[in-house]
Amino acid sequence: MFADLSWDVLVMQLFFGLALGSIYVLLASGLSIIYGLLDVVNFAHGTFAMLGAYAVFLAVTLTGSFAVGIASAVVVVAVLGMAAEFVLLKPLYGKDPLLPLLLTFGLSVAIPDFMKIIFGLIGKPVSYPEALSGATTLGPLTFSNYRLFVIFFTLAILISLWLFLKKSDLGMIIRAATRDNLMVQVLGINTSRIWSIGFAIGIGLAALAGAISVPMMAATPDMGVEMTMVAFVVTVVGGLGSLGGAIVGGLLIGVIVAFTSLFAGEYSNVAMYFCMAVILLIRPRGLFGERGRE
Amino acid sequence: MNEKTDQKTSRRNFLKSSAAVAGLSLFGMPSLVTAAPQGAIKYGTMHPLTGPYSAQGADQMKATQLAVEEWNARGGVLGRKIEWIYRDDQLNGAVGLRRAKELIEEEKCDFIGGTLSGAISLAVNEFAAKNRTPFLAYSQNDMALGSDFTKYGFDFMCLPYSAALATSKYAFTKLGKKWFSVTADYKWGHSILEGWIWQSEQMSGQFLGNVYAPLGATDFSTYFTRIMAAKPEVLVINNVGADQTAALKQASELGLTKRMKIVCTKTTLSTLKEVGAAYDENVLGGMTFYSGLRDKYPASKKFLDAYIKKFGQPVEPDGESGYVATNVLFMAMEKAKTTTDKEKIAATMEGMKYTLTKGPEYVRACDHQRVQSYLLVRGKGRKANGWDLADIVEEVPGESIIMSCADNAKNLPFVNVKLPK
Repeated sequence: MFADLSWDVLVMQLFFGLALGSIYVLLASGLSIIYGLLDVVNFAHGTFAMLGAYAVFLAVTLTGSFAVGIASAVVVVAVLGMAAEFVLLKPLYGKDPLLPLLLTFGLSVAIPDFMKIIFGLIGKPVSYPEALSGATTLGPLTFSNYRLFVIFFTLAILISLWLFLKKSDLGMIIRAATRDNLMVQVLGINTSRIWSIGFAIGIGLAALAGAISVPMMAATPDMGVEMTMVAFVVTVVGGLGSLGGAIVGGLLIGVIVAFTSLFAGEYSNVAMYFCMAVILLIRPRGLFGERGRE
Repeated sequence: MNEKTDQKTSRRNFLKSSAAVAGLSLFGMPSLVTAAPQGAIKYGTMHPLTGPYSAQGADQMKATQLAVEEWNARGGVLGRKIEWIYRDDQLNGAVGLRRAKELIEEEKCDFIGGTLSGAISLAVNEFAAKNRTPFLAYSQNDMALGSDFTKYGFDFMCLPYSAALATSKYAFTKLGKKWFSVTADYKWGHSILEGWIWQSEQMSGQFLGNVYAPLGATDFSTYFTRIMAAKPEVLVINNVGADQTAALKQASELGLTKRMKIVCTKTTLSTLKEVGAAYDENVLGGMTFYSGLRDKYPASKKFLDAYIKKFGQPVEPDGESGYVATNVLFMAMEKAKTTTDKEKIAATMEGMKYTLTKGPEYVRACDHQRVQSYLLVRGKGRKANGWDLADIVEEVPGESIIMSCADNAKNLPFVNVKLPK
């Protein structure tokens, strides 16, 4: 099994794993921020990723630019997310914690159906942008330019996010509110606004995941279902509420799925759930999760 | 408070009225025996209206609707109108069986049809046969083979191995002998792969390997490293729907469409649309029906015009199967001169000849399989426009891709084909 695989195949598989993992990281980090800040389990996370995919389709159809597509996907869907949080979620805070979960679950069913009515059952195509097509060769290694973009773009986003959270005032407040919401309120800060912003960031990351994924498949109303599952699995593995966990968990799962595809292709979908099961058995709080946050 | 007396009263009324009806029917019985049945013929179908193949499921439903409406507009069958109801099987086996039960036992359908998943077709077929109800499957399935065959089940698409034989023969003749496959890891995918492997042995093809992808896989890049290392001339894609869209898009991303030919054993209009410009001249797909046939067969033009007039866009092959199935059922009733004798109607469908959507065809008597041609279409890439997405490069006659009655009864030769791990 190992003998027939040369080192270049293994390196390329690692590369694909990291690209796959980058999308997982974007999904999981958004979910983690939302949970960490608002204590909301967002079942509609993948649904917002799907909206990001459709937003790219519309923007590219109108302007022809993929860059505009991604930017508008993030902005538009984040705003939609903020609106949903303000109108639908806010009234539920302080009540039974099951209610926001049910609400997001309801959104995850209603929004795709709504999209089916508007856009139809057949998916919408988005081509790979010209500038990112083709491949970069390094000896026997061939790296698809688009996947290189996925890896480095995600890295850039994560660095920006880290800088924002660590260095900016707003970021500091968000981190504080995640730690101790009551104390932040006592200090006179309007946490309600902070939550909206945090939710928008989380949703924006989901939309980004959907936007980057769309050239690799098509924008379909049901594409969010699997993405929600992935977000949850990675978050469980990395630790609910931990951004570092989302990153490590996402990349780890991406690489594991990639190598499972190489050696036992039919189990590639199962591999991530297997990882989740193992983590739940030996370290239930996840790799970087805080104790008591299970 | 008054509920109990109300109940009592209504129960009394119920008993009274039942007795009256019973009495009347006793009087009326002699005339009932000789008179023709008056109610509508009930035809019930199920389709995956939700889930990954909802676009194809919707076309199955719409094409059935078109056929039923056309017959009812002509006065129904032997003076009886057709009442058609449909259900969503959600592409789920348990739900499909529940729907079959609903249609037969609760809705009292005389005939049932539909399904897209081969596995669900087999399960519903078994259930229908137990209930002595003719079942018209619209899917690619193995109902015609061996022990899955029943007196009441008919298939109106094709056997999975037929799709494989048609596409593989074209591939090995025109595209290359070295091939590698990506196969959806369930029965349908496996049946197709069996067909490819067998044909490869017959035609001196060189099978370089296969990867199984789970149903619902969205990332195929991780499978492509093996494929690129194997350097095939032909990449065979044995999946369908969103899986196929993702596989083709990512194959084009990695430049595979420039280095090898890609053959999708079963493809759909939705994949052609969703893949867009990447579904180019290096990608071929198999279909039982495509709108390009309108230039070849008057029947195709007539069917397409009627469908497009009603629904605004061309029909998926899965829909065309439904149209033919529904028509053949009613044609058989007319030929057998009965709308109630199910066994006689089923027997009449055996060997039934017709020209409905393509050239002349028939339903083979021994195994109840529609024998129809299989098309190879080639993508148009950037030249695609609206619904003009592909060119038909070959129409493979149905007789050349179906085994003999004796062979099908034993699933020969494919039962002896060893699938890779």
